[in-house]
Parts: sequence; C-alpha cells; structure tokens
Amino acid sequence: MSKVSQAEKIKYLLPFIFLSFILNPALSNSLQVVKTLKVQVKDTAKTQKKDTLKVQPKESTNLQVKDSAKAQGKDTSKIQVKDSTKVQPKDTLNNQLPDSVIYKQTNFSTEELIRGARLFNGLVYLGDKSINCVACHNTHVSDTLNWNPDALEISRKYLDKSARDLSRVLLKPIGPKMKLVHKGFQLTAGDIVLIKAYMNKFVGIGLKQNKPVITYLLLLIIASVLFLLSSVDVVIRKIYKDQRINWAILTFTTIFITWILAVNAIAFGRAKGFAPAQPIKFSHAVHAGQNKTDCNYCHYTAKISKTAGIPPGSVCLNCHFLVRNGTRSGATEIAKVLKAIDDKKPIEWVRIYKLPDFVFFSHEQHVSAGGITCDACHGNVKEMNRLYQVPDLSMGWCIDCHKTRKVNLSNEYYKTYYSDLYDSLKAGKIDSVRVTGIGGRDCGKCHY
Amino acid sequence: MKKYWKDIESKKKKEEVDGIIKAPDDDNSLLGLLSDRRKDMAASRRDFLKLCGFSFAVSALSSCQSKISKAVPYVIAPVELTPGEALYYASSYINGSDYCSIVVKTRDGRPIKIEGNPESGISRGGTSARVQASLLDLYDGNRFHNPLREGISTGWESIDTEIISKLQKIVREKGTIILLTPTIFSPSTEVVISGFLKKFTGSEWVQYDAISYSAMLEANKISFGKQVIPDYRFDKADLIVSIGADFLGTWLSPIEYTKQFSSRRDPGQDMNWLIQLESNLSLTGSNADNRIQIKPSQEAAILLNIYKEIIKGVENRHFEAPSSPIDVSEISKKLVSSAGKSLLISGSNVKHVQLLVNEINRLLGNIGKTILFDSFLRTHLALDSNMEMLIGKMQKGDVNALLVWNVNPVYNWYNRDAFTEGLKKVGLTVSLSGSPDETSSILQYICPDHHYLESWNDAEPKRGHFSLMQPAINQIFDTRQMTDTLLKWSGSTMGYYDFIKAYWVDNMMRLQSEFIDPVTFFDHTLQKGIFEPASSIVESAGKPGKSGSIPFDPLSVKTGDNAGKNSTEIVFYETIALGEGRQANNPWLQELPDPVTRICWDNYASISPKQAKEFNLTDCDVINLGKVELPVHIQPGQSYGTIGIALGYGRNKCGIVGNDVGTDVWPMLTSENGNIVYTGTSDHITKTGRTYLFAQTQTHHSMEGRAFVREAGLNEFRNNPAAGNELHAYNLEHNKSLYKERTYPHHHWGMAIDLNKCTGCGNCVIACQAENNVPVVGKVEVHRVHEMHWIRIDRYYTGEEDNPEVVFQPVLCQHCQNAPCENVCPVAATNHSSEGLNQMIYNRCFGTRYCNNNCPYKVRRFNWFNYSAAGTLTGNLRDKEGMTGNLRRMVLNPDVTIRAQGVIEKCSFCIQRIQASKLKAKYENRALHENEIQTACSQSCPAKAIVFGDMNDHKSELNRLINSGRRYNLLEELFTMPSVNYLTKIKNKIL
Repeated sequence: MSKVSQAEKIKYLLPFIFLSFILNPALSNSLQVVKTLKVQVKDTAKTQKKDTLKVQPKESTNLQVKDSAKAQGKDTSKIQVKDSTKVQPKDTLNNQLPDSVIYKQTNFSTEELIRGARLFNGLVYLGDKSINCVACHNTHVSDTLNWNPDALEISRKYLDKSARDLSRVLLKPIGPKMKLVHKGFQLTAGDIVLIKAYMNKFVGIGLKQNKPVITYLLLLIIASVLFLLSSVDVVIRKIYKDQRINWAILTFTTIFITWILAVNAIAFGRAKGFAPAQPIKFSHAVHAGQNKTDCNYCHYTAKISKTAGIPPGSVCLNCHFLVRNGTRSGATEIAKVLKAIDDKKPIEWVRIYKLPDFVFFSHEQHVSAGGITCDACHGNVKEMNRLYQVPDLSMGWCIDCHKTRKVNLSNEYYKTYYSDLYDSLKAGKIDSVRVTGIGGRDCGKCHY
Repeated sequence: MKKYWKDIESKKKKEEVDGIIKAPDDDNSLLGLLSDRRKDMAASRRDFLKLCGFSFAVSALSSCQSKISKAVPYVIAPVELTPGEALYYASSYINGSDYCSIVVKTRDGRPIKIEGNPESGISRGGTSARVQASLLDLYDGNRFHNPLREGISTGWESIDTEIISKLQKIVREKGTIILLTPTIFSPSTEVVISGFLKKFTGSEWVQYDAISYSAMLEANKISFGKQVIPDYRFDKADLIVSIGADFLGTWLSPIEYTKQFSSRRDPGQDMNWLIQLESNLSLTGSNADNRIQIKPSQEAAILLNIYKEIIKGVENRHFEAPSSPIDVSEISKKLVSSAGKSLLISGSNVKHVQLLVNEINRLLGNIGKTILFDSFLRTHLALDSNMEMLIGKMQKGDVNALLVWNVNPVYNWYNRDAFTEGLKKVGLTVSLSGSPDETSSILQYICPDHHYLESWNDAEPKRGHFSLMQPAINQIFDTRQMTDTLLKWSGSTMGYYDFIKAYWVDNMMRLQSEFIDPVTFFDHTLQKGIFEPASSIVESAGKPGKSGSIPFDPLSVKTGDNAGKNSTEIVFYETIALGEGRQANNPWLQELPDPVTRICWDNYASISPKQAKEFNLTDCDVINLGKVELPVHIQPGQSYGTIGIALGYGRNKCGIVGNDVGTDVWPMLTSENGNIVYTGTSDHITKTGRTYLFAQTQTHHSMEGRAFVREAGLNEFRNNPAAGNELHAYNLEHNKSLYKERTYPHHHWGMAIDLNKCTGCGNCVIACQAENNVPVVGKVEVHRVHEMHWIRIDRYYTGEEDNPEVVFQPVLCQHCQNAPCENVCPVAATNHSSEGLNQMIYNRCFGTRYCNNNCPYKVRRFNWFNYSAAGTLTGNLRDKEGMTGNLRRMVLNPDVTIRAQGVIEKCSFCIQRIQASKLKAKYENRALHENEIQTACSQSCPAKAIVFGDMNDHKSELNRLINSGRRYNLLEELFTMPSVNYLTKIKNKIL
C-alpha cells in the first residue's frame, strides 16, 4: 500500500459503517425519516453537512434521537424558548382586546397557528404554569390505551362550540380527574383561541400517523448499492486491489438481501400485533379481567355460529343500563354507547382478527366441537386494555396447532364415523389422535 | 354398442367467429394491449416489457394495501337471528301462473338460496330453473325504486290521493274501472280484489294469461260442466300419450308433473310408458319412450283416428274418420288395454281438439282415475275472449281507468297494436307491477309491487292445497305490495298481512282439527309453508258431468289440413328458462342453455335437417319469415315441414340484461274462435344471406365414440339387470393401477345419477349457480367456450338424423379417486381429501390449466377474465350483465369463495354443506341423519335423479343404487374411479 488519499481511506470504511448499522439495534430503531419543525431539520442538515464523512455513526444517531424526541414535543430546549419570545408581541397585542372579541376570532396568521401548536405540545414556556396538553391528549395515533380523550375527540366536541366553552373547561375544570390535572391553568383568551384553532385541524385530517420505520429499507438500499459496486469491481478491479474484500462484501450482502426479502415477504399482509384505536375506548382488561365477564357473555355466538360476533349495543345495555360511570373516564365512553343506541347508529368497530376471504373459519367448530379455549388464539385478552392481534394468523400457525392438538373422540359423531380410531384409542393401541389424523390437513376443510 | 352423435355435421365457423366477435370493449386491458386485433399497434417487445413492468407494479402495490375493515354489530339484535348462521323461511313462489312451494335460505337478513319444500304435496321438494333463478330478480336494480307519475319519482302519499280521487270521480260519473291481472289463485287476494270491485262500483276484473289455456277451459266446460283444468295424475298413468304437450318442461305445472312422471321411471318397479307426438323436439319428447313426428295441422285428424279406434275397441261402434297421417292403431290398442290407467293430453289451444281429447279420456274411463276434478288446478283460469272483449271496450272508449298488475299485453298479446290503440282512449292508466316492462312503460302511474320474496301472500294452486308466502327480507326499494295498494285505495285501514291472517282464521281454521288456537294454527302453517287438509273436508268442485250426458259431435271437428302444400307450419313454444319472458332480465336464466338445442341467450328458427337441405340452409343462416328475420338452427327431430320458434324473447323494456336478446315473435300469433293459436304458417321462407352467431354450449364437450351413456330396453332389463352395461363388468376386471388403491375409512362422499329419471330440465344448473357463486359470462364469452357452469347437462342423439332419440346426462366433477387432474398440478392446488373429495384450492391455483387439459370429463372451468370483480388487476372486468354491482352481489353465498381471474374452479360436491352438516352433528353429539347432507343439485331436483351420500354408509339410498346392476362410471375404462355413478337409461320400448 503506497500513498492513500483521504477519499480512498473512506472506501475501506464503507463495509464497516454498514455493519455497524446492522449490529446496533438501538441505532436501527432510531433511523426514522421524520419531518420535524423547520429549525430542527435545518439543524440536522447542518450537522450532517459538516461531518458527513468524518462523523462517527453513533454520534449522528444520537443527534437524530434528540431531534425526533424534539419533534414529539418531549424536550423543551433553548430554541423553543427563543421561538416563543418571537411571537410574544403579537400575543400581548391581543390581550388588549376584551375576551369576548378574542373568542370570536376566526382568521389566524401562520405565526399564530404555530403558537397554537406549540402551546398544545407544551413548547411554550409559561413559567411555573406551563401547560403540556399533549402529555395526556394524544395527537398521534397510539397503540396503547389512553383513557383521556385525544386531540381529535376534543376538537370534534368543541367544533361547533365557541372557544369560551373550551376556556371554561380549561380554567374551571369540573370532573375530579380534570380538577386535579387542569389545576391552576393560567391561559389567556388569546392562547385558548389558538389552541382551539390548532385542534380544529384534526377534524379534517384525523390524528397524525406514526411515521413508518424504514430502517430495513435503507439498509436494503445500502446493501444493494454495495453489492452492485462490488460486483462491478470484480470485473474492473479499480476500487479494491484485494479481490477477497469484494467477495466478502458480495457474500455478506447477498445473504443480507435474501434474508431481509424473505423475512419481509413472509410477513407481508400479516398483521401480528395490530392494535387499532377503536371508536370507543373499550378495555378488555376492565371487562374480562377485573370484572371477570365471561367471553361468551358478549360474544354469545362463538359457540353456535361461524362468527364469534361483535356484541350488539343492546348487550352492552344489559349492564350499562345501570352502570353509567366507570372508575376512569368511563362516563365519556359509556355515554358513547348509550348515544349510539339512542341514535340507532351502530358502533363501527375496527376489525382486528380478519382472515382472508378464501379461508373458511368457524368458531363453532373450534369452540364447541373442538373445545378450544378463547385464549388459545386470542391470547390473554384479560390483560389487554387495547386489544391487539396475538397470532399472525398465517396458515403455518393454523397447521401447527392442527398437528399437535388432540381430538376428543368421545362425541357420538366421531364414535360413529371414526370408530376404528376410537376403538384403538380405547384399547390403548394409540395414545392420541391429532386433528390431522381426522383430516385436519385437507385443504378443502378450510378453503372452499 | 350404439353409435351416438351430437351434431349433424361439423361446421367451419371460424370465419364467422372472427367476423362477429368484437374486440374487448376497453383496449386498455392487458388483452387489449396484446391483442392482434389492434391493427395500429402490433404488440412489440417494448409493449411486452411495459406490460411486465405494469403488472409487477400493480401486483406489488395491490398487495401492499392492507384494508382496515369495520366490524359493525347490530344496535339491537333481532332475537331469532344469529350472525353467520342461515335462517330458513318456508314460502311460496308465485310468478304469473308458475307456482312452487319453497324454503328460502337467508344469511344475515338476505335471501341467498331457494330450496324445494319437501312438505308440499305439489312440488314435493322439487323446483325448476325459473324458481331457482327468481332469487336473482330480487336483487335486480332495474326494478322500480319508487312510485312514478309520468316517469317522475313521487311519493306514495301524493300518488295515493291523486289516484283515489280520480277513481272516485270515475265512479261518480258511472265510468268503468278495469283491473287487469294474470290468473289469481291466492284466496286472500281474490277477496281483496272483490272488496276493491265493490268499493268502486262499475269496476271489473279481467284475468289474462300470456300463455293461454282457454280452449281447454272452454272444452272442459262443455265436456264436464266445469270451466277448470283438472288435476292430471301422471303417477297413476301406465301409459301417457301426449300430443304436443311439453308437460315435463312448460305445460301447466311442470315441477309437479316431473315429480309424478319420474316416480314411475324406476325400471325395477312398474315403469310407465310415454308416447309423444309433436313437431318440435321438446323436453318431454326427448324423454319419451316413443316419439312420433307430426305437423300441428295433423293433430285433429290423428285424434279423430284414435277416437275411431277407441270407440271401436270400447263401445264396438263404427265411426267414419278422415284418413290418418300416421298409423295410430298400435297407440289406440295400448290405450284401450290400459284403460283407466292411461292419460291422453294435448298442448293445443284449439277447442275442438281439446273436446276430442276429453271425449277419448272419457271413453277410456280415465276421468276420476288419472284425471281428477276434485283437486283441479287454479293456476290457469283466464279466457282469451275476456281480453278480446276488454280491448273492444277500450277501443270504443268505454274504459275510463285501467289498472294493470303483472301482465304485459303490450308485449305478449298477439294483437298488441289494438291494445295500445285502445289504451290511448283510457283516461287513467296505472301499473301495479314491480319491474319495468313494455306495458308499464306507456302507463301514466306506476305503483310498484314488492318482489315475491318481500311479500305476504297465500295461494291455492290446486283445490285443497293451500300455501303461504312470507317475506324473507325487508323491502329493498320504496315499493308496496299490490294487495296493500288495493286495500288502501278501497279505504281499508288493514294491512295485507293482517288481512291474510284474518282470512285464514275465518276460512282455514275449520278445515283442520289439530289446532284450536288461531295464532298457533297460523304460525304453525307459516312455518310449514303449506296447508293440505284432508281432501274430504275441502268442498269439492263437484263431480264432472255424466259421460253420456254431453252432446259431442266428432264430425264437427275440423281436420284443418288446409295449409298450402308448399307452406311451412310454424310452432311457437316456451323455452324452459324464459317461458313467456317474465324473467328476461335474469342473466342466470338467459345463460341457461336450452336442454335440447344447447343454445343460450337467443331464440331461433328450428328446422328439420331434411328441409334445411331443401332450402339450402346451414346452421346460423338468417332467414326471413315474412314478419321477422331469424337465425336458423338445424334441429334433428324437428318434424319435416315445420319450424319451431320460441316466444318470450326480444323484449326491449325489461332492463339491461334482457333488452334486445333474441327476436320478438308474439305478433306472429293469431286468434281462432276467440282463442290464441300457437301455430302459424309461412308461405315464403327466404334466405337473407346473412349469418348469425349462437352462443351454443353443445359443440364444446365431445366424448365421441365412447360408452358414456348406456341404455337398454325394459324387456332386456327385466331379463338382465345389467343390460346395456356389460362393459362395466369387463372394465372392473381389466382395470389395473400402478398406484396403491386409496382407502377412505371414515367418510367417502359419492353421488348417483339415475339417467332414467333425469329429464334434463336444468334446475340443477341454476341451483348450483346460486349456491356456488358461479359467475355469469355473457353471450360472447359463452361462444368462446368460457361458460362457467359447474354442472352441465350433456345431450346426445342416437338413431337416425331425422328422427333421433335423445339422452341427457348431467356431468359434474366426478371426484375421481385416481384423478388425472391432481397429478399434473405443479403447485398441488388440486388434490384429494381424506373423505374422497377432489379439492380445488383457488388461492393456491395460479392458472396453468394443466388440470383442465388432463380432465377427461372437461368439467373444470377457468376464469379467463375477471367475471366476479374479485381480481386485483383493473381493466379485465367482463360484466355486461351488471352482476358485480352492489345490489346483485347480495345474492352471493358468503360461505363460498368468489373466484378471481386466472384460477380454475369446479364442482366441490357442495363441501360447504357437507362441513356445515358435519358440524351440526358434532354440536348435537350425534351421527348424521339419513340424507342430511344434500348438494344444491340433489336437494331441488324435481325428478329426484341425483342422490348424494356417504358411500361408506351401507344402509343409505346411495348404496342401494350403487349396488344395482345399472351402475357404471363415466369413462371407466380410464380407471379414474369416479365417485359419481350413473345408472343406465332403461327405455320402455314396446312399440
């Protein structure tokens, strides 16, 4: 190795940078593409520009972690304080007007809207009485149960009402929980109007979606680029003199690309862990867990029909005719059920467990004939506040169970038609009959 | 071995095909891009790459979307309803004069299948293709959505007040109000109508049936003193002689007659004998033991000769008859020898012919034995002369208001111009029909009726046989039942449901002694669907008049052989599927191939091969018959000198499916002595030089030269139960397989089809289509051999070209134990189950069609295009019939996958029904009941020709059939070991 220029050194680093990306899980989690506030985007851009090549991978990720955290409004730093002071003069101007006039304000400048957003996200420094709405009221779609109403719900409720109504709740809270949390808020009329204006936008667009994690896509692109480079270099022999490096890169990237494609292809269209927000914050943990309601009480067709059934509103009413207040925010959520029944408008739940149309699945077959408990497929629902999909509902998952599950042959039906198996089981010739033993792997049992 | 043939000569239709078939409608489709018909752009390599890229992108994108679906429960759940479980309602099918007792299967509030009601003494669990398809009419978006005034939507309130005030004004001015309906055989409706007539004095009720039996009614009035059509008992007749009456297909009450006829087609027992004399090759003629070709004009002369022979045989009197065109001495001898157990019927609508038939039956002593008047038919009561009189009045301007319900004289009255002319002089015209037709299109007001599946009603199709109709779904559109409308206009505050209930409590309660409580009685009857009290309790129609008391002069009968020598006689007939054309907007029926000609989506002029040669005509030539131009279909067995043309086609106001399908030939009908005559003559038939394209399923399934249909005579069968089936024993002995034979120790599903019972009516085809979501493909696609029916009925001719015998054979997936299709599938998308089923897994199939190629029975169907809107690729939807619209899709069975483009599908032995019944047995902790599992085709077969069951169940009916000497398998020399078994056809060949 003779004289090596700075640029040439880097080419040897490339594979290692890539490796470190893969091997550092924390890092890959944080590699999110996020649209942040302008300032922050600028900042990251700056740092990246400066240290594009020099900077250590770990450092750059730390920066990004910080940035993304900022975007979610969890961090209050100097920049924001500076920002709030920027819009302050406008605010003070508003204060000179009487409140009744301010509450009727309908047109807002961009600056004002930004301030509304910042107020909601707790980015405005108001001394000891700083507020942080987003801490309790989600602006993003969340996959855990948050008992408090999210920004969308509040905005829907106050869409037709004036900002003065909102101010009453904020400044003179009523409910016990609200009294505790909304204690001592000192918001000006101007700020409340801006908060309301900010929340109004959710009515149109809904809650913000969480940005997809595309770490693996990035890695795949990098791996593909490396793969291409190396395969070209195998021929032209310009980059690496030692061909073994090329071959090593080629082998490694091939394995990586195949693996990532395979894993993702298998997971394609499957929704393991799918936990959507439901129109009513219904907690299975409260109903099935704490109150020990039997699954079959609400899902009363599971034993007698193909489908387990979503309970109709009238079933809710069996208890909630009397039970109108929950321990947490039950009052608001139970009120939704009662309203739906009064309006004769069905509650549109988001379906979680869904098999493709070409699969026939019968709850009756599994629960009644097969004697399988609910948690075998649905997991420990009793501990789920927000319900999520436990299995991936793949065919392999189905077949695995069919292979291992023992059949109870004591049913008259089996005794008649599977007498050979029943007799040998009784005689002790075989120790068990699995579902596959009675045709549980026939394609046509589920696909027709 | 008999030689079977299917076609007269193979024709080279290639040029015609290319000439007439249009390129796909939208050329943006993949096929359009690749099509060599695009002259400006031959598919280049670039296009190919473009397409590759496109399809990759589309498939990638379409699979990325994961749809968020909603689960929407009821607000307050109905008590009787379990989501996901089927509910069955007993009801009745009434459409014009068609009647059937049915059970409606509903899922989550929508009817998805119609089954026969085994409780009924009339249909006894059978249905017809029309009954099965009537389900689809419910989901027809072409039905009226709301009341209309001069074509503009309006509300019931305003239309009611307007019409009532107009009617009242007419009554005040002593005008005439006419209510025009088909034959009404609902007792409650009759009372509603009479109430309406009483309320509006000066109003009259006219019944009109498009297919008229008025000559028969008039003749029976003279012969027996009762103007009704008697109850024919085909199950009690050893010998049936039918002169042009297609009683298995369309005549009077075909479901009932098929049941009765087939019950006597068991060769082991007392088998009946059917002689058919006819011009067209009808369904009945195809099933006849002897078929004799005659011209319609010869009917009277033949009957006179039969009369002559019989009066000689029975009363030993001499009678001078004109010379007979055919030798009737044998037939007459047989009739005399089976006197009292024979039946002579005629499909003619000429009074003197029917008088002669009555007289012969009387002489033979059949009245009271095979022809019963106690339980006469009430489904056909209309007289043509009444309609004639009505039109006369209308033309004179004597009619002030005309209310039309469910009849369509503007389309199917022979003299439609006179009717339309008269209509112009009627002040107020109201249509009460539920769906648009030619008549309602020119009426002022439309007060739409419910579909029958949304209605309450009752029926008495035969005296003493009552049945109830109940809604299986809430009304889809803003319609109101006709009877409710009449009740409202009559000033009644009662709904029709309460009305029926009250009527039944008042009138039916006393006919039974089982229930004392009226509510229990009504509910119980409603659940059963039918009410058939002991016949002695029902007041009888009175005995027919004494035999000698009726003056009858046989010499007055005109032999009517006055047609010119060169003229050709035309016979008009109804098809099995469309009948008079009421259900023309039903794509299932339009696509049901005619049992004999195997043509769908069209009517045509059937002509005998001999005459075709004389006129130098080939299949598909268009000829001019004077009033209309029609394509020619050369029909073996068509009587020489006659042409057969189907009525019921050529509608233009029924909806997107049925408009302009076929040719309208109703104006060619004539009237004679006040009765419409369904025959005619044509003096000049000219070739137009044009050709036409048929969608014909016949030429596609050739199994030539093989013993797929085996038959024998009754005498041979009596000597040897395996007569005609000698090959079976030979094959059993010689068939050897390399593979180890599979065993099915638990269940082994199988089927037996009795070719002797099957009449080929096509009910199973539509039943299967409804049950298994079989798509409709349309005329062009059928022509391109893309039809999708899972069960087809093959028809073969044997014997001479000019006078062939016909055999029918339903062919479905044979569920072979050595299935040739399974070995060749590269992805194991078709394989065998542990219960002997040949399974087809749609989501696994990727469309190589190897299985299709390797199937010797050609029962596999390929989704060439996106017929069902289940595919993801755009631009390939083939749905001219609107079957993928939201409303039409409500007919789909949720338990059966909708197949996407590019996959093979085929009969599954209704595995969804097998699974459901098994699960029910497990849930109830019991073994399966006998015949508990029924496939869609076997459940509603009116002939009971299809039997499904477990071949391992040795006590089953199926095993009894399988173990008979008549059993054989299709193409058993291939050793495919099918699970579908056929029983040889045994013809009663005595003549």
